Amino acid sequence: MTPPALAKLASPVDLEALAQQFRGDSRKASKCVRVCIGTGCTAKGSRKIYELFCEAAEQCDADVNIEAKCVGCHGFCERGPVVVVEPGEIFYQQVEEPDVAEIFRETVLGGRIVERLLYEDPATGKKAREAADIPFYSAQQRVVLSGNGRIDPTQITDYIADGGYSALAKALSSMTPEDVISQVELAGLRGRGGGGFPTARKWQSCREAKGSAKYVICNGDEGDPGAFMDRSIMEGNPHSVIEGMLIGAYAIGSRQGYIYVRNEYPLAVEHLKAAISQASDMGLLGKNILGSSFSFDIKINRGGGAFVCGESTALMASLEGRPGEPRAKYVHTVESGFRGKPTNLNNVETWANVPQIINRGGEWFAGIGTEKSKGTKVFSLVGNVVNTGLVEVPMGITLRRIIEEIGGGVPDGKRFKAVQTGGPSGGCIPAEHLDVRVDFDELTKLGSMMGSGGMIVMDEDTCMVRVAQYFTEFLQKESCGKCTPCREGLAQMLHILNGITKGDGEVGDIEEVGTLAQLLEGTALCALGKTAANPILSTIRYFREEYDAHILDRHCPAKECRGLFHYEIDREACKACGICLKNCPADAIAGEKKVPHIIYQGKCTLCGTCWDKCPFSAVIKV
Amino acid sequence: MPTVTIDGHKVRVKKNATVLDAARRAEIWIPTLCYHPSVLSEASCRLCMVELDRGDWRQLITACNYPVRRDIVVYASSEGAEQARRGVMELLLARAPESEELRAMAERMGVEKTRYPKVTESQRNCILCGLCVQVCEHLIGQAAIGFAGRGVDKAVAAPFRQPSEDCIGCGACAAVCPVGTIKVRVHKDQNEVEISPFKSRSKLMLCHECSAPVVSTEVAEKALQKIEINTEEFRELIRLCPRCRMLRTAKQLAAMPAYENG
Repeated sequence: MTPPALAKLASPVDLEALAQQFRGDSRKASKCVRVCIGTGCTAKGSRKIYELFCEAAEQCDADVNIEAKCVGCHGFCERGPVVVVEPGEIFYQQVEEPDVAEIFRETVLGGRIVERLLYEDPATGKKAREAADIPFYSAQQRVVLSGNGRIDPTQITDYIADGGYSALAKALSSMTPEDVISQVELAGLRGRGGGGFPTARKWQSCREAKGSAKYVICNGDEGDPGAFMDRSIMEGNPHSVIEGMLIGAYAIGSRQGYIYVRNEYPLAVEHLKAAISQASDMGLLGKNILGSSFSFDIKINRGGGAFVCGESTALMASLEGRPGEPRAKYVHTVESGFRGKPTNLNNVETWANVPQIINRGGEWFAGIGTEKSKGTKVFSLVGNVVNTGLVEVPMGITLRRIIEEIGGGVPDGKRFKAVQTGGPSGGCIPAEHLDVRVDFDELTKLGSMMGSGGMIVMDEDTCMVRVAQYFTEFLQKESCGKCTPCREGLAQMLHILNGITKGDGEVGDIEEVGTLAQLLEGTALCALGKTAANPILSTIRYFREEYDAHILDRHCPAKECRGLFHYEIDREACKACGICLKNCPADAIAGEKKVPHIIYQGKCTLCGTCWDKCPFSAVIKV
Repeated sequence: MPTVTIDGHKVRVKKNATVLDAARRAEIWIPTLCYHPSVLSEASCRLCMVELDRGDWRQLITACNYPVRRDIVVYASSEGAEQARRGVMELLLARAPESEELRAMAERMGVEKTRYPKVTESQRNCILCGLCVQVCEHLIGQAAIGFAGRGVDKAVAAPFRQPSEDCIGCGACAAVCPVGTIKVRVHKDQNEVEISPFKSRSKLMLCHECSAPVVSTEVAEKALQKIEINTEEFRELIRLCPRCRMLRTAKQLAAMPAYENG
């Protein structure tokens, strides 16, 4: 679609007329190929695929209007690159460059389906034509991600044609700021960044705070290992975040907003920049928006990648140009935040929920989810799971459904061991609690938390002590070093965990870690330190026997900690091929042709080369 | 004026005064390291933990920067508060075991030794309280030192860990250091003053009468710039060591008529 010359919109009526016009325009493009340019698909070469489709559409002399469109993350990253063809919403996965011509010829022009590119259910062997037929999608409920995979994030026209900015128009033309806040309150929206604080209450406090200059901030400093929820929203539907901020700013009485995005998200920065510039051109940002007395602008700030800058006060310090270190929150940021002025900070996903709430009403939103956790939540499902990707589910769904139904369970016939939720401040939930409902309070009760939405699935080969060690090391490296308990306490905890995984653990280590955990929770300056012991505490709570095995028996049950297990050759499986013998750097393997080999434990350095090289899996960890 | 009930004692303080202010008025000792009345309280050492009564639970807060805005009940000597403070002290002792000042404070708190090994050190015996950094920037106005690095690698240093040209050798950082890590060393043979461990050196101004070292020449210059009294007599006085200054004053006093007559 060639973008029409965009004039400034003077009123909500103008916006609606424009949306009508765009919808008319897009109907002219009777066929459309939507190529995912989310980070996962881009990494697998979807940009090139998009370009090839564009070329094909341009060169095609058929008498139909064909459009190739780049869209945000579909979520099914495991099967990328994803290409969807309209009409029919035909869902092709794992598309490669040579497939482009075939898809174009067969499906776009011919209306026939390329069977081999459809998703095949590994259990039933049934092919799925549309996304809705794939189990990965059928249990999901896409609210925040509804625009992802459908609209072009680089074109404001696409967002407007899809009903974008109508919530802003509605708020400005028919709602008072108090009305907006009461709808958000009715919706029961809670902060999606991890804290779960009621959004309406935060807005209300900021609205009531003294001072004329007030700020709204979007926290896009997503830093949990394995998490990419906010990234995908900013990349795939930047206008939904901007619209949410506009509505929030109107409710709070703010004229200036900031989006703090980490610099490692170049595509998110690019799309947000383009979105802000387009929205400004159309009068959706700037002075007297849609002819009202409300004025608002947004600036983008790129973060340097410190995990702690996701903490609100550290983020604001960084935004002010100071080192990203938190400060005490005895005086809340809604009262004195950025530059000492009342500041309302919300996470990307929280902001992206707002337009939907205003459009469909708080009651609709409150109809989804559990009693105290409303709406949907986006999770990045990663780790030892068949379908890794981005999923959006209604609150209250069980962890089991997310992992088994949507995620397709644990691959390679391995047994599920635990799922880590809530990022480095969260905890590990074992198999016996898989039927817990995903809800802010329920997950907290289990010693984990909702967090911002990271979900790491672990199979039986995962050593839980090492998991705790990994997260503790992550946090120790990311601690800003300002306060004593976090800086020194994490180093002490890591020192103990390192000892345990090396086989130097002592009786009493677990109690020592428990004491430190309690100290950190009580005395650390910010949430990073206060919750830093959660990965350790939750693994001790559910996998105490693994810690004991490391300490008492000097044995790692998952056989992951080097030195706490040894290698042996299975006499039955050994074909006496001699590969292990040739590769052993320590000459610790003996054997002859047709005679099963053996490892001399005294000489073995536990390097694992034989285990890696054996073509018959005859080398086993004991 | 809100009332703070601290360990049962009631004290009235100005709104937004800190819990530490209230404790000092009630003559209750709460240990502090990173607190100094002349600079902004960052509450980074976390040693001044006390418990705030929240009704059905108690919250650990830092006394040095918790603003009193309404009537509150605080426990400074409760088991929870003391345990928290002792825990923090043990962590600090593990980091800076050689500091006598720190050991003395630990002793006063009833902490004999730490159960933790030394696992972090970015600068010997420094507890990273940041007082030196704040004083240098906000009171002296030089900002010769700052924090470098992050987390366990964080350290107080001049840029690139080189001797700083901005350091005027005033020694305020050493005066304010609560653990005695920063030292002022006088190199008499070279007529220089060194601020350790930052390695920065400044020329010493010698007393115009007895040639004893007084302060660094830069400090003397700065002092003259800052102070409005700028008489010849004052300029002369400032170039003397304290002893000679005293002698001169005494001589002047002796010369005054009132003293002549007894």
